[in-house]
Amino acid sequence: MRKTAEPGGADPALVETTDPINQPAPFASFGPAATPDPFTPLDPRVIKLWRLTSLIGLGIPLGGSLIVGLIVGLAAPEVVGWIFLGWSLLAALCGWIIYWYPPRACEAWGYRIDAKVLETRSGIWFRVIKLLPLSRLQHVDLRRGPLERAHGLASLILHTAGTHEATLVIPGLDADEAARLRDRLVAAGGDDAV
Amino acid sequence: MTGQPVGAVPILQGRLHPLTLVILLVNSIRNFILPAIIVFMVNKSTGGFILLAFLALTVLQTLTRYFTFTYRIEGGELITRHGILERTERHIPLTRVQDLRIEQGVLHRLLKVVDLHVETAGGKGAEASLSVLSRDEAENLRRAVFEQTRTLAQTTGAGASAPLPTPPDEIVRRLSTRELVLAGLTSNRTASALVVVAVAWQLLDDILPKQVYERLLSTVSSNFERWIEHEGHANWIGIAITAMLVIFLGMIFSVAGSIVLFHGFTLSRRGEDLHRAYGLFTRRASSLPRRRIQLLKVEETWLRRVFGLATLRADTAGSQPANPQENRDGRDVLLPVVRREELETVLPVVFPGVESDPSPWRQVSRRAIRRGTLKGALLCGLFAIAALLFERDVFGLWPLVFIPLVYALNVASYRHLGYALSERFFRTRRGWLSRATHLVPIGNAQTIVLKQTPFDRRHGVMTLVVDTAGQAHTGGGPHIRNVPMADAEAVARVLAQRAAQTRYRW
Repeated sequence: MRKTAEPGGADPALVETTDPINQPAPFASFGPAATPDPFTPLDPRVIKLWRLTSLIGLGIPLGGSLIVGLIVGLAAPEVVGWIFLGWSLLAALCGWIIYWYPPRACEAWGYRIDAKVLETRSGIWFRVIKLLPLSRLQHVDLRRGPLERAHGLASLILHTAGTHEATLVIPGLDADEAARLRDRLVAAGGDDAV
Repeated sequence: MTGQPVGAVPILQGRLHPLTLVILLVNSIRNFILPAIIVFMVNKSTGGFILLAFLALTVLQTLTRYFTFTYRIEGGELITRHGILERTERHIPLTRVQDLRIEQGVLHRLLKVVDLHVETAGGKGAEASLSVLSRDEAENLRRAVFEQTRTLAQTTGAGASAPLPTPPDEIVRRLSTRELVLAGLTSNRTASALVVVAVAWQLLDDILPKQVYERLLSTVSSNFERWIEHEGHANWIGIAITAMLVIFLGMIFSVAGSIVLFHGFTLSRRGEDLHRAYGLFTRRASSLPRRRIQLLKVEETWLRRVFGLATLRADTAGSQPANPQENRDGRDVLLPVVRREELETVLPVVFPGVESDPSPWRQVSRRAIRRGTLKGALLCGLFAIAALLFERDVFGLWPLVFIPLVYALNVASYRHLGYALSERFFRTRRGWLSRATHLVPIGNAQTIVLKQTPFDRRHGVMTLVVDTAGQAHTGGGPHIRNVPMADAEAVARVLAQRAAQTRYRW
């Protein structure tokens, strides 16, 4: 029981196990098991983009805290060493996150289109799989921010009529690939024959 | 009624009832009477002038609205226009109409007129408000809207050109005053008042040892403690009587509220449309095509469950999240109270075919029990530590006594937790003391989401969420935790693929 309190540790033996006690009737009634295509990964250039955005996102508060620390240090010179130590640790942690996180986040991301369903997966610790029946697609936005443009990337934002999960974002696509994907999604979603 | 869906000839046209002038005037006077009186009191001459100016402005506004407002149904649209300087013309495609509400306040009833509100998906509030119409006009308009919708759906769908004869009303359920009294007595307000008082009473009187609360109080205020010592005994009785009074008053208010709001509640069906009519003073009637209903929730709070009652809630794509006005108007419930066993006949009225589409409930991973118990036990442990610090005694560990209870509760709620996937519907149910069952036609699913926290991953489970349009009254729609990973993925895929094969109809 206490094992559950340990965060993050993925025990491969446990991950694959579905509960043997609770194994109801097999899923035969749900049709044949899906033959999934492999997930399409994001464009690897997104790692650089994410490093840049997290550098900006973390750098601003870090800079701010450095200024605050300096002001406090001027007022009370005896704690300046501690402030510097604390700030360096924080900066080191942020640096490590900027280095470590983006490649893994990129690796965890993937999307595929299978039988008129768009499936995305993402997340390292908190994993999320989203399935969007393409006939539910209301409209698609293609977003290219200044940083994304500089990296030749684009994001697709997919809207449904839903409530809490009404938008689905696929980041880090190659710009041309994003446009192609958008056309493909809209074509599949707008198909009246379903 | 012709079968032609599109044409330049208006099928129905009209203007507001002359009594609009009276109603609007009374309404605006009611709105500014209080500030006007205050202004008048402060300064008689200026106040009088301001009052007159306001009145003149209101009369002018009312006259403009009355004389310029016209509506018509033409070419599959409801068109309203009004205004002199700033002309507003609004076209509402009839196929987009989600809900048609007819409201009748006390004054409206005296004058035999009604307000009519048209709602569509997406709009904030009513898309068009026709205030006021005569009762017959409103009825004609309502009928015209829904008959048009039907013929439109027919011609675009099956291609049949013969219009359907308007089927007669079929009354699904009427609520008697006795049932409304019961509904009031078992409403959430009574339940929460009961719980709060009971828990507070129990905690203070039985569980907390005397020295604990004395010490607690002494830290708060020594004066208060002295007061307790002198008049403590009489005080408890006083508190008890007050508590009873609060509950009693709460019950009376709930019952009165329930009767005033829902008096003469009737849910009926005419063809594809559901109608609700209710209200003691303000009569409300609403019509919605049943295919607009996105999902249903059967809600059984613990107090209602004692009486074998349930509440039926429904959401359309037009439902606005967290709109207190909607709750006050009773728009958040499809059926405020119904006996549980009656649901078998009521549900198929809303979702035809649900009765012939059964499927067994599937349970989630048994680890749900373990995880729930662990969470509860941790909470108990924290309380025990807090109590231990207070008490400095072994008896401070009393919160740990509740751990078996936590376990029992988790087992009970696990037994009732489940989901079911059938050919056309997805159901989830949760809760033991208070229960909630969600029912979604698979065609209404917008996105299916699977979430997994690091803890979930250790247990090989996932949370399954089905997102639909307009989850305002049904508490966030169906989501179910602790589904074994393989099952969750299989169910999610099936849901998504079946949804992809159907067309979403607004």
